[in-house]
Amino acid sequence: MFQVNRAYPYIFYLSLITYLLSIFWGLFLTPEDFVQGNSYRIIYLHVPASFISQSLYLAMAIASAVYLIWKVKLSVYLVRSIAPIGAVTTFIALISGSIWGIPTWGTWWVWDARIVSTLILFIMYLGLISLHDSFNNNEKADKFLSILVLVGSVNIPIIKMSVEWWSTLHQPASITLSEKPAIDLVMLYPLFGSIIGFTGLITCLVILSSKLQIIKREKNKSWVKDYV
Amino acid sequence: MFNIEFNTLAEALLMQSQNGQNHGIYVWSVVLIVTLCISISFIFYKYKIKEISKKIK
Amino acid sequence: MEIIKFEFLKLLKKSRGWLGPILVFILIMVAYPLTVEVSDVELSQSFFSILWIAALLVVMLATEDIFLEDFSDGTLEQYAILQKNLSLIVGSKIFVYWLVIGVPISMLGAIFCVGTTSESAFGYQILPVLLVSTYIFMNVFSFGNALSLTKGSVLGTLVTLPLLLPLLIILGKVVVAINFDLNYSGFLFLLLGILSIIIMIIPMIISYIIRAHLE
Repeated sequence: MFQVNRAYPYIFYLSLITYLLSIFWGLFLTPEDFVQGNSYRIIYLHVPASFISQSLYLAMAIASAVYLIWKVKLSVYLVRSIAPIGAVTTFIALISGSIWGIPTWGTWWVWDARIVSTLILFIMYLGLISLHDSFNNNEKADKFLSILVLVGSVNIPIIKMSVEWWSTLHQPASITLSEKPAIDLVMLYPLFGSIIGFTGLITCLVILSSKLQIIKREKNKSWVKDYV
Repeated sequence: MFNIEFNTLAEALLMQSQNGQNHGIYVWSVVLIVTLCISISFIFYKYKIKEISKKIK
Repeated sequence: MEIIKFEFLKLLKKSRGWLGPILVFILIMVAYPLTVEVSDVELSQSFFSILWIAALLVVMLATEDIFLEDFSDGTLEQYAILQKNLSLIVGSKIFVYWLVIGVPISMLGAIFCVGTTSESAFGYQILPVLLVSTYIFMNVFSFGNALSLTKGSVLGTLVTLPLLLPLLIILGKVVVAINFDLNYSGFLFLLLGILSIIIMIIPMIISYIIRAHLE
């Protein structure tokens, strides 16, 4: 915790600068897209958010598996603290996607698999929070939360593959690990930059949130009193 | 690679595309929403931590 | 076998538990034609979506107190103390619920399907899909209700409904396949595969949750 506190400002400012620079690059320095016009510039805000919203769920699943197997208390604090941030990023992804949809598809909402599954992800984050908060007994709530996160992780591959499995309006992923990117390099560099920067910013949020969670849950311990 | 697409500020705000539509309103509203969400959650967590530390003290 | 028989008799005694959901299902299916201006084309157009939603709702209602009574009168605690195989008991409980509520609902759904849609062949085509999907619904909602055992069923439903939505997408695909007279057995086997995984895993998870509740 103390090491994280020392590293926090570096992470924060580095990722903030990276994010702002690549957003500036994406918004002003890249050429206009031939098909979509200038509205494609939303990609620099939309893709990082949707990428993060899924990765956060994956992180939660790993952390809750760690909790259920090794009973590490910190990992379930992490699960609980990630959930609201995941909800925020999913919200950003949904809103930016639907605003992007207005000029390119002519409609702000389509009932296709990708969008609906992102909405499901949003509802799942909210459901996790409400499940955890409805129990007074914290240990019980921790157990149920981590079970539910693990069971819910079956939805993640469905969200990932939905663009390829079902015919949709949504374009397939622009960047994949295995193949050559389907996007020009000039547009790709700022996209990578914005993903990295946004990831850093969200990491800072997770650090803050888990700090809050730890202080809240351990507030009767003496080291917390020394710390604050 | 590094030539600026827009000459004036007004052009950058409007973001007129080749098909004549102005896409600026969409892009800038998304920028606004993202900034608001992220900064509000930062402020929220900082405030909460401060509050709970005060309570414990 | 003994457990199944025991649970079966216990469920039959409590007529609200099994008759209620079936009647609600009939009521929903009867209410649907009233909301549409009566013409066969419009009726059959969205019949299947109503069918899936009704099945979903009714299974949700049926599993509402699947563990609550046993939990509050201490039966579950006895099982857990006796070191019997708790997940087996949970699995047979869900099976009995499906047998008493899910199967009649599927039959009724097929009958209403014959009555509402233009082609009577849809009825027996949809029946196996309904049987499998109600069993899946039953398992997943029991999981949700085990999670929120003492907190009411709203929370459990809220939490598990998102898990079922991908399944509804598959069911929609099945209906499209049936409508266009395509071979839909691939979807049926997909559903059966999902079911076979769920049958194994969900009772284990539920028994873990129940043990956590009893602590």
